[in-house]
Amino acid sequence: MVNLEDLKKEARQILKDGKAKYIIGYKKGANDLMPTPAFITKPEDAEDLVWNPACFHNLTHFLVDEKRRKAKEKEPDERPVGIVVKGCDSRAIITLLQEKFLNREDVYILGVSCENTGVLDEKKLAKKIKGKKVKKVEFDEKNNFIITTPDGKTKIPAEEILAEKCIECKANFPVIYDVLFGEKVERNIDNPFKSLEKIESLPREERWTFWKEQLDKCIRCYACRSVCPMCYCDECVADTINFAVTADTTAEEKAQKIKWVEKSPVSSENFAYHLVRAIHLAGRCIDCGECERACPMDIPIRLLNKKLEKEAKELFDYDAGFDPEQPPLVSCFKDEDPEDFIR
Amino acid sequence: MPEEFEPKIVAFLCKWCSSAGSDLAGVSRMEYPSNVVPITVMCSGSVSPLYILSAFNRGADGVLVSGCHPGDCHYIKGNYYARRRIALLNKLLEFIGLEPQRFQMSWVSAAEGVKYTQIIKDFVKELKPLGPQTKLGRNL
Repeated sequence: MVNLEDLKKEARQILKDGKAKYIIGYKKGANDLMPTPAFITKPEDAEDLVWNPACFHNLTHFLVDEKRRKAKEKEPDERPVGIVVKGCDSRAIITLLQEKFLNREDVYILGVSCENTGVLDEKKLAKKIKGKKVKKVEFDEKNNFIITTPDGKTKIPAEEILAEKCIECKANFPVIYDVLFGEKVERNIDNPFKSLEKIESLPREERWTFWKEQLDKCIRCYACRSVCPMCYCDECVADTINFAVTADTTAEEKAQKIKWVEKSPVSSENFAYHLVRAIHLAGRCIDCGECERACPMDIPIRLLNKKLEKEAKELFDYDAGFDPEQPPLVSCFKDEDPEDFIR
Repeated sequence: MPEEFEPKIVAFLCKWCSSAGSDLAGVSRMEYPSNVVPITVMCSGSVSPLYILSAFNRGADGVLVSGCHPGDCHYIKGNYYARRRIALLNKLLEFIGLEPQRFQMSWVSAAEGVKYTQIIKDFVKELKPLGPQTKLGRNL
């Protein structure tokens, strides 16, 4: 079990010692269920930190923002940023380190172990408690979730409301950390790609109908891109105009600028956007499930990334986010890579 | 009599091998279907998955990526990178339900004019029964 007091004590101490400029963690949100990201700068504010099964956000994308902010400062504070991470989030940090986007000394990692459980899925929970207002969520000793509603406490076995990503989780404790809270519990998962089975078993035309139905819902709000710690490109191919338009830019130049993906939320462009996003995350996605959680239209985006994760594992024996020294998936090769599809 | 469906194929050919191979087919006066639009790129490794998706988006019925045989790349290892990338894209397109025949990769050296014509012939033959590609084509 993660002892919250230890986490607070450590946070207070590193802020007091000036070892970190601030700490990114979770604090109680406006809504009783969902914690909100917290940026703690003063040692006394470390009291606000919380850790509960509803801490599903992946905070590592704030490190990307931090890097951008720091680049603009004239006299940047060179101290690291403290960050509270779960197992999956720690893999995001590893990928950022692997891509040399971050330096190890820029982050002070407070790892929390999910042990045998994980975080809950809001939608599953809402269904389970039939839309009642949640006052509090807690872990108990035996890895069940205890949900407090106005009607009293209910104990729900973790597997019933656990997020999909946690059911298939490959890292239930942080892979990289400076301080670890909770224990490293070995957990065996029979099939880390179980969620794909249903769609993979469908015949081709039904797979197409499924994806068309799903991706037609997309309103191109780009929430999946904004929430993703790996989508840190300064310019994105999905943006129609991503070049500087000045007074001198002629209409011709604007017209000739390549538009890879149109903005209109129509089927073909939605496919182009989501397929490009999936392929750009191949071997980088660490399955934090944030894209799917942030999606206002409930598109199972995670499955596209999961599919590529599976292929990377099966074809190239590659696991993202475990070793900062390994070369990225698409910038390396082996002589024995499969080529049975090539004529 | 209704006109027979003629598929449109976009072929990304690497400058050093496949493009020279297609050239050889041409100068040797070998006959092959005219359905293919060749685009010469510097290396098969420079073909971004975005080009392929874009070709489908603009209405290609089939896309071919062709490069040098492994070990023959002008840039030493470009085709090895391409092989990985294309394998992933191949699996992804299959997953979303695109017919796997629509997307092909081949190794064609500068001396393999005959092989090139054969690949195009086979490709066109496979695409004809599938009909036009409407799944990823632009429908603004």
